[in-house]
Amino acid sequence: MSFPILSLLILTPIIGALTLSLSSSTQLKNKTIFLSGLWITTGEFLLSLLLPIFYDKSKNGYQFIEFHTWFDKFDINYYVGVDGVSIPLILLTTFLVPICLLCSISSIQNRAKEFVIYFLLLESFIIGVFVSIDLVIFYVFFEAVLIPMFLIIGIWGGENRLYATFKFFLYTLAGSVLMLLAIIYIISKVKSGNIELISDFTFDQQIELVLFLCFFASFAVKVPMFPFHTWLPDAHVQAPTSGSVILAGVLLKLGAYGFIRLSLPFFEYASIYFQPMIFALSCVAIVYTSIVALRQLDMKKMIAYSSVAHMGFVTIGIFTLTQDGINGAYFQMISHGIVSAALFLIVGVVYERHHTRMISDYSGVTNVMPKYSFFFMVFMLSSVGLPGTSGFVGEFLVIMSTISVSVYLTFFTAIGVILGASYMLLLYKNINFGDLKSDIKQLADLTNIEIFYFSCLAFLTMLLGVYPKLLFEMINKSISLSII
Amino acid sequence: MINLYQFIPEIFILSLILITLCFGLFNKDRAISLNTFGFILLSILLLNYGKEFYSTTKLSLNTINLFVLSKIILSIGSIVFILLLKRPLKNENLYRYEYVLFILFAILGSFVLISSNNFLTAFIGLELQSLSLYLMAAFNTKNLSSNEAGIKYFSLGALSSGFLLFGISMIYYDTGSFNIQNLDNFTAISEIGLSLVLISLFFKVSAAPFHIWTPDVYEGSPTISTLFFATLPKFASLIFLFRVYQELNISEIKSLNYIFQMVCAFSLLVGVYGAISQKVIKRLLAFSSINHIGFMLLGIMSYQFMSEGTLFFYLIIYLITTFGIFAVLLNLRTVDGEFTKISQLNGLRFNSNSKSISMLVFFFSLAGIPPFAGFFAKFFILSASINDGFIFLSIIAVLSSVIAAFYYLTIIKNMFFNKLEIELLDDNNKTGKVIFITSGLIITLFFIYPDPLINLVDNLFK
Repeated sequence: MSFPILSLLILTPIIGALTLSLSSSTQLKNKTIFLSGLWITTGEFLLSLLLPIFYDKSKNGYQFIEFHTWFDKFDINYYVGVDGVSIPLILLTTFLVPICLLCSISSIQNRAKEFVIYFLLLESFIIGVFVSIDLVIFYVFFEAVLIPMFLIIGIWGGENRLYATFKFFLYTLAGSVLMLLAIIYIISKVKSGNIELISDFTFDQQIELVLFLCFFASFAVKVPMFPFHTWLPDAHVQAPTSGSVILAGVLLKLGAYGFIRLSLPFFEYASIYFQPMIFALSCVAIVYTSIVALRQLDMKKMIAYSSVAHMGFVTIGIFTLTQDGINGAYFQMISHGIVSAALFLIVGVVYERHHTRMISDYSGVTNVMPKYSFFFMVFMLSSVGLPGTSGFVGEFLVIMSTISVSVYLTFFTAIGVILGASYMLLLYKNINFGDLKSDIKQLADLTNIEIFYFSCLAFLTMLLGVYPKLLFEMINKSISLSII
Repeated sequence: MINLYQFIPEIFILSLILITLCFGLFNKDRAISLNTFGFILLSILLLNYGKEFYSTTKLSLNTINLFVLSKIILSIGSIVFILLLKRPLKNENLYRYEYVLFILFAILGSFVLISSNNFLTAFIGLELQSLSLYLMAAFNTKNLSSNEAGIKYFSLGALSSGFLLFGISMIYYDTGSFNIQNLDNFTAISEIGLSLVLISLFFKVSAAPFHIWTPDVYEGSPTISTLFFATLPKFASLIFLFRVYQELNISEIKSLNYIFQMVCAFSLLVGVYGAISQKVIKRLLAFSSINHIGFMLLGIMSYQFMSEGTLFFYLIIYLITTFGIFAVLLNLRTVDGEFTKISQLNGLRFNSNSKSISMLVFFFSLAGIPPFAGFFAKFFILSASINDGFIFLSIIAVLSSVIAAFYYLTIIKNMFFNKLEIELLDDNNKTGKVIFITSGLIITLFFIYPDPLINLVDNLFK
């Protein structure tokens, strides 16, 4: 037991939020508030960089473990630790939150203090999910994430924000309460909430199926998988840019993380039993939502549907239950986290200047915003899965691993890649090429701040695309343990 | 020789009543501070010597602990309530010292009810409590809806007392005893009698389908009285219900157990479905309390697993939350008088930071969303009930809490997302503010550091 780095990671944003909330709001300018938020989150990012540096890749199991008794009587403990699976996601979170704040400086004018506070709380709750290795605190953080997100969409969202934010909250809550029941049942059987102990426990087969479905309900809504995905386009369209970025970048990964961290090791029998169902749902998700994305008029909605399709790859990869499949799925998660976040930022840039998200309102943007088109192209190609970008590695590994399961599965997954390319290229063509519309002419190109964060994101996609080993080194061992 | 030692808390309150009766004629303010002081003294007395009061009785240790703990909670609740009541009553021109007397009588009734081992004593306690409540409902004599609430409450309450008496007499006919503790030789007649007793108790705690009075009475009465109905007397009746369940082993009697489960499921569902479309905040809170009663009944049924601790944890958190919500509501006034509609909460965020954020905490806590204590309250009840095999009821309970989240979110939506519409008068009621801010802090802190509460409950039940 040494330096409590994980608790510090959870507490830093909360303390920052508390200090901000206690400062008197009338005296502070918006810019000062955002700057202080940026300082806190950047510090948090630097702090989280310590994790991969000091993480010992040769060891099995969790590291940086902290253990405190919380409820003595009920055996509920504050038990946190990280392994290879959680570290990249923590880094992704701490990396995206400062960018979210950066991109909102100009767009969020009213109630800036609240905005920064909710983002800080959101960050600490998300990190909490990734570091917890006790079921109860996992659930606590998993649920707590809803509150700041509900407020962010509801206060700073678009015209139809109430509908979207209620749908988001209630869908997710309905899924989660079933998981809560399952968690309570598991704890009453195993007499502990410790994830490692529960992994060793074998349940009665029939019961295991039910428990799996309860967890599935929660994670499938969060991912989101095919029949439960309808909240996502609404939430994305109505959320402010920064909200969409964090939603697509990190919140969707909570579901997939839950599958890898909890569902697979807890319910080995049920994972195999429900494999066909999940493959079927994911295939439908990939093909159906890609086709839906093709016909969208709203840019954000299109990217939201593309997120559902991309997350379909993730679920397929996870449930191939092979090392390659899960590696690929995990890589796809991280890559999608970066790329879709960047794409929502791209949409946000033109929305802020032109106040419309309709694709038909834009054309010939490349004439006035060349730098913008350049970055758009990088992320578009990465989303399509061009070799050399991060999108390629994940998709490739997932498709490769499906061959061992079924060729039909490979067929449908590969169709998804083609469809993905077609809608993304279509989007890029419609916006950037063609005749220059008269009202587009006065749009200004990217500012220095925007260039800064876009280059960070672009650099990361390239880096992961060219040198994927960076990530695989980290996750290989932990993932091989969760398969069994 | 009757040992008066065990009646010290009741005698204490009775003397408080007598003093207030004489004293209050001359000085209302003094009467209030006297009572606050009296209840503080009583809580200290109970905390330190509570168990010794009952040491001469033949009661089991568990029962004694139950008495002591619930009486401590009742007296602390009364302190908070008495501190709170002055300003709202003044605003309505109702500031008369009789109100404090009603509270004292109701609390005395609750004390008697909690520690009664005999159905007749219980009846006396319950009646003493209820009669004060009827008067409190109709206290705003110039207001028509307050009168209506009082009369509704009284006529329905009288009916339920009739049920209670009839049930008790049936039990007496069958067993020849009024005693709660040694009731054996059950026949069908006693079972019917007991079910009548239960119905009457369900009425008092407003469990569905015996809840019809709740929304109307909540809405019509002065808000400060509503706060009282929602908290302390309900708490006392629930404790008595719990005792009846425990002492008579109702879990062993199939028919009654069935009634219990039905009422629990009904309360969970009726509460949420009733609350969804409400426009008046007190009606919404009435239905939401019915839903919470469902959870408490679930806790009563599954007490065997984690002892009384789970139930008490839930009750305490619920009491604190309700006190907090009403303290905020009492602090809000419009130009037209008392605060009624949910839509009047619109834009509260821009009006007052502390009120809106405390309300956010309370409603998320009621919805059972972490990181607030309401989550663990529900979590423990659910763990106990799943462990005791009430899986179906647990599923109903969690689904109902999802629906409940909808209307709690609507309130939060009104406060945080909508624009300020009406002018709210700032009451600047310092005690109210202190109370809701402390309750908000407690709700958050109990989540992070629940040990004090758990230890308190635990030590008493050891």
